[in-house]
Amino acid sequence: MHPILVLLRKDFAILLKDKVSIMITFAVPFAMIYLFGLIFNVNSTDAGPSGIPFAVVNQSDNPAAQRLVDALKAEKTFKVVTSYVIDKNTRRPLAEEDLRPLMRADEFRFALVIPKDLVRTDAIGLHLKTYSNPRNEIESQMVNGILQRTLFSNVPELLGQSLQSRARAEIGTARSERFNAAIASAVAREFGGDEGAIRARIDDGNFGFDRLGQGQAGTSSSPSGIRDVLSNIVKIDNVQVAGKDVKSPTATLLVGGWAIQFLLFAVTASATALFREKEHGIFQRVLSAPVTRSDILWSKFLYGICLGLIQLVTLFCAGQLLYKIDVASHLPLLALVCVFAAAACTSFGMLIAAISPTPESARGLSTFVIMLMSAIGGAWFPVSFMPEFIQRLSRLTLVFWSMEGFSQVLWAHASLMELLPTLGYLTLTTALIMGVSVWRFNKGRIFV
Amino acid sequence: MNPPTAIVSAKGVVKRFGALTALDGVSLDIAPGEFFGLLGPNGAGKSTFMSLISGLRPIDAGTLNVDGEGVAAGSVQARRALGLVPQHIALYSELSAEANLRIFGELYGLKGARLKERVASLLEAVQLSDRRHDLVKEFSGGMQRRLNLAAALLHEPRLLLCDEPTVGVDPQSRNAIFDYLKELNRGGLTVIYSTHYMEEATRLCSRIGIIDHGKILAQGTIDELLSRLPFEEEIRFPASPETDALSSALSRFGEIATLDGVSRFRPTTGYPLSSFYTLTEGHGLPPRLFTSQRPTLEALFLQLTGRMLRE
Repeated sequence: MHPILVLLRKDFAILLKDKVSIMITFAVPFAMIYLFGLIFNVNSTDAGPSGIPFAVVNQSDNPAAQRLVDALKAEKTFKVVTSYVIDKNTRRPLAEEDLRPLMRADEFRFALVIPKDLVRTDAIGLHLKTYSNPRNEIESQMVNGILQRTLFSNVPELLGQSLQSRARAEIGTARSERFNAAIASAVAREFGGDEGAIRARIDDGNFGFDRLGQGQAGTSSSPSGIRDVLSNIVKIDNVQVAGKDVKSPTATLLVGGWAIQFLLFAVTASATALFREKEHGIFQRVLSAPVTRSDILWSKFLYGICLGLIQLVTLFCAGQLLYKIDVASHLPLLALVCVFAAAACTSFGMLIAAISPTPESARGLSTFVIMLMSAIGGAWFPVSFMPEFIQRLSRLTLVFWSMEGFSQVLWAHASLMELLPTLGYLTLTTALIMGVSVWRFNKGRIFV
Repeated sequence: MNPPTAIVSAKGVVKRFGALTALDGVSLDIAPGEFFGLLGPNGAGKSTFMSLISGLRPIDAGTLNVDGEGVAAGSVQARRALGLVPQHIALYSELSAEANLRIFGELYGLKGARLKERVASLLEAVQLSDRRHDLVKEFSGGMQRRLNLAAALLHEPRLLLCDEPTVGVDPQSRNAIFDYLKELNRGGLTVIYSTHYMEEATRLCSRIGIIDHGKILAQGTIDELLSRLPFEEEIRFPASPETDALSSALSRFGEIATLDGVSRFRPTTGYPLSSFYTLTEGHGLPPRLFTSQRPTLEALFLQLTGRMLRE
């Protein structure tokens, strides 16, 4: 056999014996492709995100307002919240004053208030009010777009009602009704149809705005054109609940996401260095001194926290220089979150080292899990873009809660009390993972 | 009855790894100031015994005391009494020689001027003072071995465990290590030295335990051990077609074995050497083919196990 073929065969033989390489070559990219496919609904005709919590407070008694609420409920992008849960069995309709505290608690990040004066009498147009916590710019642009589409696609008669209302205010009810009757009669005479039905539609403001954007065949909808026209006559008051003075919310997420991902790589590498110390016989020497296994593990844990704290704070400071993220004003709380995030990441690294039989398998496993956690935990793109079951899974990842902590501090300017639930979750995660790791280390063979 | 002064006392020590019994009822006492050799082939149980003495692993049966303390309980006093020189270069290769010694000294509670003095003194002793700031990974194998030894001596242990400390070392560094260990032993340090090199055990140790398959087969001074052999001389000659007939004839007067192209004749006690040379003359073989020497521990091991030490 030609030497090239012999050497080629040798490389394949080695590859087949190296499970880690096989995993990194095939399994990791496959899992990522599958995950991204789920996130972007590749196999679904109904693409796009779903289940974004969206609160609606309907203060209007206009039937069209309720139709708007129903249309929003039918929109799969949103999970519409209209009730305030007092306890397990008691709830009441959501009120406007509930919105701010619930949004600060991140129960939802977008809300629509349909006010009593939805149909304006002082001018032509509609009046709506939105509340937003746009900590993710992509998400908030998408939500606004879908809200406009829903509004103009489903309840265009609201605009007609507005015109009718304005006419009544200007020329009086009697003259307005006579005008409508004359129009209905003329339309029926010239174009056919039942005059009564046409009159009823005109009275309801149903002027057929929804058909303005239809193409010649009448089958393809083009709502953007009509949106452009109508958006100028719909007055939407927006109240930004958090992050008004944050210059670059995208940068906050960008830095936080990548920092936490690479911290995971760094602390996992540090923990897997335990294998090297074992191979070099260093544990043998150290444990023959008045040193316990716990001393070794806790020193690694503390090292990971220190490394994580330094790395995260350094990267956020770099973010301040590059993207004007306001780190300096929130440094104490940010450092606190960094400590808890670093502890959670370190415990993860320790777990990888504790459950892996070899350093190679630890590297393969950590690469896979870190990329997976980063993807579904929101380090790469908003969690709300993912299918709902992945959104539920993402809450089990320490990446999600670390990013949540960073956002709370840098975006929402949360207080220590507001941070406690997030810190509590990170602490619980750390304790749980460290418990399993220490148990595995003591059961395993890394120290003997 | 164990001597009350034994610094290491093992009685019926058993250690198992699953189905494998690595140590099977090991009993021995090592007195303070001894240079005790643990001689056996690879896999005999030497390193396992060392790891038990240093408290790295628990024993499964028997008793094992170091400096009067049971090591199974992880006694701090027992740990402070001993220094371990592992088989591997157990050093942080990315750090300097001095940094390594400082770390291991601090683990034993040394600090300040005392630590500084011990580090300097040991670097001097192992002839690495001028390389104290160099990274360990830049050292030769011999230099790393010397530093590996120094790291075990920082806290001035009463007992030094050397687990094959000269593996892969050049002859010059090996001699330096041997000389230093001898000097330490003369200063009162008890040394337990495990090796599969008979020459090292013979050269260094005042008393030797021969271990195989987890059992101590024999222990004592070299003279005591060799006196167990049923012959006093070993005559070697090349194994070749010319000497085949002689080998056959000699088998009536003692033991004959061939290894690596060399025949070894161990005559039974009382067999006169004059008869041997008469026999060789009779086969027309010149005297220059034959060398006579005192039997070695290798011969004893062969006698005890039927195998050579290196097998």
